[in-house]
Amino acid sequence: MSMSMDGSHDTECEEMELFQRHVAERFAELLSCTDEPEAFMSIGWLRKLLDEFLCCEAEFKAVLLMGRDPFQIAKPPLDKLLPELLDRIIKSLDVCNAVSLGIDSLRNIQRLAEIVLSALDQTLIGDGQVRRAKKALSALLSAMLHEDKDGGITKGTERSRSFGRRGNKDKDRSAAAPFRSLSWTMPKNWSAAKQIHAMSSNLAAPRGNESSGLALPVFIMNTVLVFVLWTLVAALPCQERNGLGTHFQMPRNLSWAQPITALQERISEEWKKKEKKGTVGLLEEMQKMEKIAQWLLDFADSFQFPAEADKLEEVKAQVEELADICRKMEEGLEPLQLQIREVFHRVVRTRTEFLHVLDQAAKLNIPAS
Amino acid sequence: MDDHKSEDQHLVAAAQHILKALAASKAVSDDLRKTLLDFDIHLSAMSIVERSIKQLERKIKFAEGKIMTWKAKNSMIWDCGSKESSEYLEAVSEIQAAVHNLQSLNEHDKELLGRANGILQVAMAKLEEELVHILVKHKQYLEPESFANEAGSVDLVNPALIPDLKSIANVMFGSKYHQEFCQTFISSRRDALDEFFVVLEIERFSNENVMKMEGNCLNREIKKWIRAVKIVFQVYLVAEKRLCKQILGDFNDSVYQFCFAEITLSFVLKLLNFGEAVAMGNRSPEKLFCFLDIYEVLENLAVYVDILFFEEFGSFVRDEFHKLLNKFGEASKFTFLAFKNAIANDPSKARFPGGGVHHLTKYVMNFIKTLAEYGEALNLLLADETPADPEGNDDDDSHPLAGEFWSVAATLESNLISKSKLYKDVALQHVFMMNNIHYMVQKAKSSELSLVFGDRWLRRHVAKFRDNARSYERVTWGPILSILKQENAELNCTSSKENLKKKCKDFNASFSETYRSQTGWYIPDTELREDVQISISQKVVHAYRQFTGRYSSTIDEKWKKHTVDDIENYVLDLFVGSPKSLHYFSSSAQILKRDKSV
Repeated sequence: MSMSMDGSHDTECEEMELFQRHVAERFAELLSCTDEPEAFMSIGWLRKLLDEFLCCEAEFKAVLLMGRDPFQIAKPPLDKLLPELLDRIIKSLDVCNAVSLGIDSLRNIQRLAEIVLSALDQTLIGDGQVRRAKKALSALLSAMLHEDKDGGITKGTERSRSFGRRGNKDKDRSAAAPFRSLSWTMPKNWSAAKQIHAMSSNLAAPRGNESSGLALPVFIMNTVLVFVLWTLVAALPCQERNGLGTHFQMPRNLSWAQPITALQERISEEWKKKEKKGTVGLLEEMQKMEKIAQWLLDFADSFQFPAEADKLEEVKAQVEELADICRKMEEGLEPLQLQIREVFHRVVRTRTEFLHVLDQAAKLNIPAS
Repeated sequence: MDDHKSEDQHLVAAAQHILKALAASKAVSDDLRKTLLDFDIHLSAMSIVERSIKQLERKIKFAEGKIMTWKAKNSMIWDCGSKESSEYLEAVSEIQAAVHNLQSLNEHDKELLGRANGILQVAMAKLEEELVHILVKHKQYLEPESFANEAGSVDLVNPALIPDLKSIANVMFGSKYHQEFCQTFISSRRDALDEFFVVLEIERFSNENVMKMEGNCLNREIKKWIRAVKIVFQVYLVAEKRLCKQILGDFNDSVYQFCFAEITLSFVLKLLNFGEAVAMGNRSPEKLFCFLDIYEVLENLAVYVDILFFEEFGSFVRDEFHKLLNKFGEASKFTFLAFKNAIANDPSKARFPGGGVHHLTKYVMNFIKTLAEYGEALNLLLADETPADPEGNDDDDSHPLAGEFWSVAATLESNLISKSKLYKDVALQHVFMMNNIHYMVQKAKSSELSLVFGDRWLRRHVAKFRDNARSYERVTWGPILSILKQENAELNCTSSKENLKKKCKDFNASFSETYRSQTGWYIPDTELREDVQISISQKVVHAYRQFTGRYSSTIDEKWKKHTVDDIENYVLDLFVGSPKSLHYFSSSAQILKRDKSV
């Protein structure tokens, strides 16, 4: 507050440069992640994404709040930009909740997959095991493809739908129990796609002389926030993802934005491909599991005891992969859920802090009575 | 097939016969004899195995009959009475045992084993259906009202069916189909829990919705939510956990704990989310009671939550609950601080007409009166932050909240003093302070607050407003009384007549002036008003009576505008808040000074 204009200005510029560079570096690292256990769009990768987000958020707060006069963040253009960010934060909380519920349905899918493992991870595979596996596989595939509507919670393995290729005469069709799909998820008309759309609208890069001031870190934070949430929605099941936007007006010439743009383009590509088939979501583990589940279901449909040795070898291989995916889910889903919750709490706290500072600034403006 | 078997058996018997004969022969060496006898034993074992397998086959066939018959039916076993269900379970146990035995026999009859496993799977699938059916059919719907009376002894599923559920669990676990059991059980119970939301009339709101809710609507939802939270943690979830334990308690503890956690985790988080949204709301002083309400409730429920979710499986829920509790604690503290700041910064722009009780005083005192009801919660929250008491009211016997409340009162007083300075008339400043401090004392004497403020504070503040009363008298009536006073020296002065005339004029003017302004002043409390009037009367009327009496001979009637009685009556007009004036028909320029009080 009593620093010389020049001195404080220089430090400020430096801080902002660093912030931009760090953002670029973090997302560049995410872009280059291709190997297990952090393969692109895997549970491990998402956890890394959230880690990076929390780092960006912390740095953003430091840049904007530390050692700064409250008045500085209350004057234009921040007087309008900050409340917008805080409003986006509120919207993002609902997305966090929706995605967290989505992880519940993933856990459910994991349990079904584990039943398949119990059934097929045997030396002797007979009719009994195959029927058992088939029941669980049908339920699993059904859960994957209908998650967004029903809330994704499969009712045991009771499913009257069959996904085998062999017609619909499922000999193990059980009388569909009268389960209500009354799972209290998000409010009835809430849509993740719409929410993300609302968050990304009005997100415009600062122009002119605003682009060197505090408006820039605010814009960066907004962009990062929207991108991360969009990625989560694309990866994990959550209510009403239909129509998830894939086009963002990303600034082309800003260096910090390039890794994010590249990631966003890659994810968009994948999303468009999948949207045609049906929304399983882009989570790597789910993608893999879907393929395996479909293969195993085909095997189950055409099974005759005893199976040929080489077929059994293939089954074994598929089952091993499935076991691997289940392991990853067992290890990673809960921590992922905890992280999302952490993001929730952090941005709430950030919002409170900013409100507090803005409040202080407002008080300073009132002429002394 | 049987022919082959009996052929084999004949062969074996023949072989054994030969072996025994050979072994008994003297021509055979010891080693050879040993080998032959071993072989004999092997063949015997084979026979046993063969016989066992035959037995198993029979059992499997019998059980298969039962199980396949039920597969073809559309009805539920458990609807048909306990004989049917126990027979069915027996059949399943037979198959289970058969599988186990076949697996442990060295001789693997793959076909038979496969058949047994197949039958087992059919039975398991059927049992899954039965499980769902029982859980749904015998679910007990309970009204929230009934919960209030039966805390803890509520049954979510008809207790008569518990043994059946246990049997099914045992059989499915024994067959290594525990995953299906748990999955089905958990799903069914989750559905029941979701239904309970409807019973509680809890709607789903997004965070955005909650943040936008207006006062009444928000309060209504909060009330519903508080009610829900109490029932859920104190009754429903306790019952749910008991149910899990009853059905699955025979197995490893982690089983029922796991199921309970899976059933309840999502539901509890959804429930808490509403609280999260409320905690983020704006922090204006009016919200303080709302935050404290919720804080109190959550604080009381913490112990239930800790017990319900003390295992590892439940640590997430426990943590989130405590985080939410802390958020409301912080919100309360912050809002309380905002309240104090609002008092301190209340702008003093316009003079408060009449010098009566300011709305700020009323607002603050009523606010803290309500606040005193949250004594316990506030105590927990503000324990570390009690400000030092500058007035030394502190005492070992003080109420724990005394410090905070004294501090609030002191802040209010401070602000009131600023407001009083807006009056140019010093007398009015005193009247204003007297009125307001008196009001504070009256409120502080009431039930809850008196315990908090304590006797010493009350005594001090009674003294304060009395001080102000006296100061007012001094400022206003002092000069007037000194007019009526007579110095001894003037008694027999020849100019005393002139003197007296002047005195009368001065008195009339001053009194009239005072009357004009101070009839418009206001002391709302009638008792206080009377006290002040009486005090004035005692001095002024007395002095006037003395003055007019002593010099009655000298004083011209014309100079005296008022009788003693008049004066007495006029005093009663003061501080009533309706301005009056005394009209004189004097033609001489008695410039009535401009009313200084307004």
